[in-house]
Amino acid sequence: MTYAIALAALLMTAGCAQWLDVKPYDKIAEDELLSTEEGYMKLLNGIYIELNTDMLYGASMSVEMIEIMGGAYAVGTDNSVWGNYRDLSEYEYGTLYWRARMNETWNKAYSLILNCNMLLTNIDADRDLFSEDNYRIVKGEALALRAMLHFDMLRLFGPVYSRNPQQLAIPYYKAYSVTPNSLLPASQVAGEITHDLLEARILLANDPVRENGGDYRNLRLNYFAVAGLLARTSLYFGDKESAFRYAREVIGAVEDGIFPFVDRALVTGSPDDPDRIFSSEVIFALSHSQRNSLFKDYYDPSRIPNYVFRMDNDLMSNIVFGGGAMTGGNRDDYRYRVNWVATGANRYFYKYSDMADVGNIRNTMIPMLRIGEMYLIAAESQSDDIAAGTAYVNVLRSNRGVNNIQELTENILRYEYIRELYGEGQLFFMYKRMFAPVMFSSQASKNPQPSDRIFVVPLPDSETEN
Amino acid sequence: MKPDLNRIIVLIAMLFLLLPSASGQEKTVVLKGRVIDSYDGYPLIGVSVIVEGTRNGTSTDVDGNYELRIPDRKCEVTFSYVGYDEEVKLYTMKNASAFSKIVMYMNSTELDDVIVTGVYERKKESFTGASATFKADQLKSVGNNNVLQSLKTLDPSFKMMESTQFGSNPNMMPDIEIRGKTSVVGLKEEYGTDPNQPLFILDGFETTIETIMNLNMNRVASVTILKDAASTAIYGSKASNGVVVIETKAPARGRLQLSYKGDFGLSLADLSDYNLMNAREKLEFETLAGVYKDNSGNPFNQLRLDNLRNERLKEIERGVDTYWLSEPVRTGLTHKHNLYAEGGEDKIRYGIGLSYGDVDGVMKGSDRQTVEGNVDLIYRTGKFQFSNKLTIDYLNTANPTVSFAEYAYANPYYRKRGTDGKVDRYLYYPEEGIDDFPVSNPLWNASLNSWDRTGSFGFTNNFIFEWFMTEELRMRAKFGLSRTDDDEQTRLSPLHTQFDDMGETEKGLYTNTQINQMVYEGDVAVTFGKLFAEKHMVNAVGGFNFSSSHQEVYGYAANGFTDDQFDAPSFANGYPSGEKPQYSESLKRAVSFYVNGGYVYDDRYLMDFNYRLDGASMFGTGNRFRNTWSVGAGWNIHKEHFLRDNDFFNFMKIRGSVGNPGNQNFSAYQAFSTYKFNGWMTNVFGTGVILSALGNAGLAWQETVNYDVGADLTFWGERINITFDYYWKDTDPLLAVITTPGSMGVTSVAMNAGSQKTHGWETTFRISPVYIPSERINWNISFNAASSRSRYADIGNSFSALNESGKTSLAGTTRYYDGGSPTAIWAVRSAGIDPATGQELFIKKDGSYSFTYDVNDEVVVGDTQPKVEGIFGTTLYLKGFSAGCYFRYRWGGQVFNTSLFQKVENIGTEEVYNNQDKRALYDRWSESNREAYFKGISMVQKTEKSSRFVMDDNALIGESFNIGYEFPDRLIRRMRISALNLQLTMTDVFRATSVRVERGIDYPFARSVTMAVGITF
Repeated sequence: MTYAIALAALLMTAGCAQWLDVKPYDKIAEDELLSTEEGYMKLLNGIYIELNTDMLYGASMSVEMIEIMGGAYAVGTDNSVWGNYRDLSEYEYGTLYWRARMNETWNKAYSLILNCNMLLTNIDADRDLFSEDNYRIVKGEALALRAMLHFDMLRLFGPVYSRNPQQLAIPYYKAYSVTPNSLLPASQVAGEITHDLLEARILLANDPVRENGGDYRNLRLNYFAVAGLLARTSLYFGDKESAFRYAREVIGAVEDGIFPFVDRALVTGSPDDPDRIFSSEVIFALSHSQRNSLFKDYYDPSRIPNYVFRMDNDLMSNIVFGGGAMTGGNRDDYRYRVNWVATGANRYFYKYSDMADVGNIRNTMIPMLRIGEMYLIAAESQSDDIAAGTAYVNVLRSNRGVNNIQELTENILRYEYIRELYGEGQLFFMYKRMFAPVMFSSQASKNPQPSDRIFVVPLPDSETEN
Repeated sequence: MKPDLNRIIVLIAMLFLLLPSASGQEKTVVLKGRVIDSYDGYPLIGVSVIVEGTRNGTSTDVDGNYELRIPDRKCEVTFSYVGYDEEVKLYTMKNASAFSKIVMYMNSTELDDVIVTGVYERKKESFTGASATFKADQLKSVGNNNVLQSLKTLDPSFKMMESTQFGSNPNMMPDIEIRGKTSVVGLKEEYGTDPNQPLFILDGFETTIETIMNLNMNRVASVTILKDAASTAIYGSKASNGVVVIETKAPARGRLQLSYKGDFGLSLADLSDYNLMNAREKLEFETLAGVYKDNSGNPFNQLRLDNLRNERLKEIERGVDTYWLSEPVRTGLTHKHNLYAEGGEDKIRYGIGLSYGDVDGVMKGSDRQTVEGNVDLIYRTGKFQFSNKLTIDYLNTANPTVSFAEYAYANPYYRKRGTDGKVDRYLYYPEEGIDDFPVSNPLWNASLNSWDRTGSFGFTNNFIFEWFMTEELRMRAKFGLSRTDDDEQTRLSPLHTQFDDMGETEKGLYTNTQINQMVYEGDVAVTFGKLFAEKHMVNAVGGFNFSSSHQEVYGYAANGFTDDQFDAPSFANGYPSGEKPQYSESLKRAVSFYVNGGYVYDDRYLMDFNYRLDGASMFGTGNRFRNTWSVGAGWNIHKEHFLRDNDFFNFMKIRGSVGNPGNQNFSAYQAFSTYKFNGWMTNVFGTGVILSALGNAGLAWQETVNYDVGADLTFWGERINITFDYYWKDTDPLLAVITTPGSMGVTSVAMNAGSQKTHGWETTFRISPVYIPSERINWNISFNAASSRSRYADIGNSFSALNESGKTSLAGTTRYYDGGSPTAIWAVRSAGIDPATGQELFIKKDGSYSFTYDVNDEVVVGDTQPKVEGIFGTTLYLKGFSAGCYFRYRWGGQVFNTSLFQKVENIGTEEVYNNQDKRALYDRWSESNREAYFKGISMVQKTEKSSRFVMDDNALIGESFNIGYEFPDRLIRRMRISALNLQLTMTDVFRATSVRVERGIDYPFARSVTMAVGITF
């Protein structure tokens, strides 16, 4: 009888296994989601959407936390208005509030890295599900996203790379694992980032962006965005030769009309409704359905008496958009004319305020990578002699409505970065890369001097305590 | 009602008498006789007397006499009576005289000797497992609350965890453990299910602890606790925490019998563990703590504080000294009723029951009402038997909306009511422009139209089909279905002080949660039992089981009520901003195949084995099926030839078993990763999804290898009864949910790590110094004890995260190290308070002294697990009178006294405004009291966890006292009652403990007195 039962058991086991295979109704099971191309697309899109959270590029890593650290805004002394921003502007990373905020950003970035890894772990086996070139595109974008998120965590929490490339920085996750990965030296993280980006570049070789230009591909990590990221990362890792090569590749695309400079008419012709983010120049942007909140929550002068983010008046009018040959600043600059609007005695930053055309895709864009930066990278990396890059800067300047400079200096280059990338979360990383004082004020004595204390954010509690 | 009923009974009886005479022309004979009880010789009334295979029958009259006309041919006559063994006598046409006196035996002894596992039954003598069986009257004799309460007094291995937080709240489900924890770290926190809870089986079907708590005790026939691998392995991967098997009463054959059982109780709050300051003490404490001292050097503020203190002092002089704790409590009234009608004849038996229970907790507004109806039917024809149990229940609970803690916090120098006699909204409200917090009056919040109530409707139908194929072979198929619908609603009045800072349109809060649960279970089993060659007894069971449990939870909240009185959800203004409807779902399925075999040689040598193959949807595809096995062996020494003629030893058995039951109390979808829509935003590409929960298909499920050796001994004419068990358990691998570094992308993960080894023993000893059955006199003394020790092994650094967070936490004393006990208390040793400086002097790991606290000096300074814990008690039966008392003792454990730690020393700047333990004022170090146990009064000084707060936790508790009386027949016969008994039970009568800790933070503990009445007509 025992045999009979054992036999029955064997026969029924197969049937039971199916009966036991239950699927949740309130959530989507992985094998159900990743059974179609559309499922993969949804997961990829989910990652892009999550980049818009306040913990990442919806605020912290674009206009808010990281720009405070980059000295972009004049922070008042009144605690009831400015709250915790005072501490951050003094680089007090140890306060309860900022420890929690850093932790939040770190956890969110790595949770999206995990999402990329879930996609990447499964996609090779499901290659047949994809039509056309989509397998290569989805995989390439996921790899690039993983590299980009790791890169920003390295720039935030890692050492000043040019000084301590061997210092332990962050872990690099290439797959899900039950045990934590250990911290890697910054140089190894750099290697992993470059490796992922290079692979992504190969996978995206047939990206339609190379034929058709932006056209929604600029809302994805397209072929040129990966090249642009490679230019950015190579420069950060001190590989000027590669940086120049990749920047040149993107500049080539600009010259082919793929990412054209902004139409003069759109910025000066209709001053009531300018294209403030120069949308045609953006190689990669996030699409944030309530992007207007970035303006409303941080820059809108009607927020007064609440805090409003803006540049120090003196710094703006006398140095960044003044200062003549010393800084290359000029008030004819489109970037000044369309983005800085006067209310009362002050000028306020309008880059993120909506255009009149409500449904326009441009009103959703948070720029992550733009051609202006490519020209500046090319200028900086062409040779060790910074003056050799003058021509690249002048191409950019001629498209900003300002006169040429005679000879590029490090100083002018930095101001050019400020003018071009203000409010896009790149300034702190620039100072950290150059190990230069944070240009916070028009008075050089007030500017924070470079040090590991200000540039190296301690790893979050959730990383060190667990 | 009574005369009507009698008329019906008479009618039915007449019908039975008339039937045969109407049909028969054959020769008949009249049998006459009297039926008596074997125990006391009293006549038995209402015994049904039936000729087998016919509907011809009668029942005995008030004197136990019967008269039955039967056909004059060979036939069997059956005598049956509830609670007695059925008596079948063959009428041979010549032995009519043998029917003149029929002696019937109470069947309680039989219940004693059979182990009911829920899957199969086995005679105790031939069972190798460790188990304990308790009958209905045993359970009732120690308490009337619920089955679980009584089990904790009766069996040393069954532990009901006392909840310091929730006290005697009748609506909180207790945490239950059998033979300690199998230790799953962090799981309850993560999934909300208690991974150490035993499996509950009701009438052969798996059920929930709620159902058992709601079950009216008067319906219970017996409870069996299965403890070791040999007895639990038949439940496979659900069994590692032990199994509690509950059988309800089956309807008895016989004339229609109506019984009523009633319980009437009072419960009183036990506030003796609270040691709060009076008004004068509190003010003095606040003054010493610097509440009335301005630190900023602002003279105006100092003036204000001086005035405030003087105002309060004036109030105290006026005699204000409010005892807040008495406000929310009351004398709780409990009444429960159970009405059961049963009867039937050979083929059909039926039972119809109705129960009602209303338990009022000791806090005002705390109620639990249950209504339960059940219909039991048994139909037997030839070789087939069909039985069906249907239960429908309705449960209504209410909880107070203001927690007991808020009353304990209120300062005694405040008046409950204002001068006009009304309850004020605030006890203290700072003047305009003063940076200070208002103190709300708990009485105000309690007086509002706020509520927290749950209605629950349950339906359970269990159907069993049995086929007695041959004498040896039996097949049984069963199917059970149950559905529960819970509707939980809470409402906070808009006038509640919690909403004071909110806009008018956001005040008040209503929440609604609906939980629907549908469970079904089916089982087919074949049972075989045969004695070969008079020496080889073989038993075998093989079967297949499948079960499914589906749960859905819906919920929403609404706010913006404008009125206290009108509370319908339709009066809400809207939904709280940013909130969305709640929904969650889980579906669990399981299948299993099982085999059990037993072999007994000559009643002396026993062997058992079990095997079960379990598959469950919660297990990952890589690990879907799991094996459970056990083997057991035993030796009945009293059956050996050398003891067979011995009168002294009645029973002597030694037994041992080993097996690997598992644990399956996990959430439904943890085996695979799930995704969700990131609904907060879509983009031009449409919608997106992201990871919701990370699955782990390769996780190995926790299993416990369980060894047990034990002995059962009965001797001296059944007067002494001893059971002893020694066991050791090895849970390997442990399953733990641990927090992870953020870079892993998830904040916690379930993983396997190390093992836990437990050793323990338990014993029960019972002696009857006076035992005269013929006189109905019996005096028992019983004693039981249990002890266990656990330690971790091979966990390495897996829990370093938990250890680190424990070290930095305010009062966490649990650590995870190899060789350490899960219940150990870790803290830095303290040498006390230095009389000279008032600072605490610590003892470092190397034994040197230091004023600096270093968390790395932590060592084991105690263990919350007592060295030994158990019950001793005595019962006396004297004719119809019975009395018993049971005391719980606990010795050798320690406790980290959080009351001292948080309500005496670590009183923060905010807590200083709450009322505190008296000890916060006395025995504090100061210049004039240098030999104090506690540090000086200070608001800012932080006290670290040290051995100064670890105290011995020895206790003696009067757990249950009872007296009862069973009315003799001659007294009640005239009232046409066949049985009447009364019993008075008191629980938790007193507590003597070596440590004083506040218990019952959110809900106080209760002492209760219950009167139970049982009437059978």
